[in-house]
Amino acid sequence: MIVALLILHGLLAVALLGAVTHQALSVWLPARKTASSFVARMRGVTATSYVNAIVVLYALTALLGGIIYPTYRLNVRIVLEQMQLHVPNGAFELKEHFVALGLGMLPAYWYFWRAPEAIEHARARAVLTAILAFIVWWGFLVGHVLNNIRGFDL
Amino acid sequence: MIAARSKPVFVITFAAAYAILYVVSVQYNLALFTYHAATEEFHFLVQPAADGPAMYWYGWLATSALGASAIAALTSWLPSASTKRLWSGLAWSTPLVVMIVFVYILRRYFMQ
Repeated sequence: MIVALLILHGLLAVALLGAVTHQALSVWLPARKTASSFVARMRGVTATSYVNAIVVLYALTALLGGIIYPTYRLNVRIVLEQMQLHVPNGAFELKEHFVALGLGMLPAYWYFWRAPEAIEHARARAVLTAILAFIVWWGFLVGHVLNNIRGFDL
Repeated sequence: MIAARSKPVFVITFAAAYAILYVVSVQYNLALFTYHAATEEFHFLVQPAADGPAMYWYGWLATSALGASAIAALTSWLPSASTKRLWSGLAWSTPLVVMIVFVYILRRYFMQ
């Protein structure tokens, strides 16, 4: 069961990673003409179309992470401490705090993207998107590395 | 129900208050409840580790979410004249600063 939840957590994280990366690129590096290359098409998406998906995926991914977290705490973290793998351990500690802070930003993120034409909130939209993108990338990479180190040892 | 004009005040205040309450909850361990993973038991407020580690993360989330909701609700009920100059950047700058604070708090993991 835990393995299935871990895989689902990873799959949701991949979808979230794609959505938030597309949105962040389209906000910070918008394509200025008709997209011709792969990278230009990545940047040329309509940022607003990702908002609801990002909110739902972030919440679901965090929820699943919270459900499998006790297994990590019992089976993985203790081993990391015994092996004195301080950097991966610390990276996960940062992940849990960053993800928690991201949850607190979601209402503001959602609100400011509801009216994308509001110029006065353009900076808030862009920075909130960038911070969420950073959190998602950090969480994904740390989770991937830790899974490579230990998995769930089941 | 939050009036339309109060929504930006609520979400900005919530984001900022949540980030501050979260780092304070972590630093001073103000978890609303504790989860003992080995025995799969929840306990109200902070309880020490028993059979296996005690998990406070869920409790910190609950403390921060409830506290920030209360603060944001109170702030959004203030007269609009007192909140109209609320900077929307608080919604991202406060969490960003708290993220940097966490890097500082956890630096020992990366300096050993």
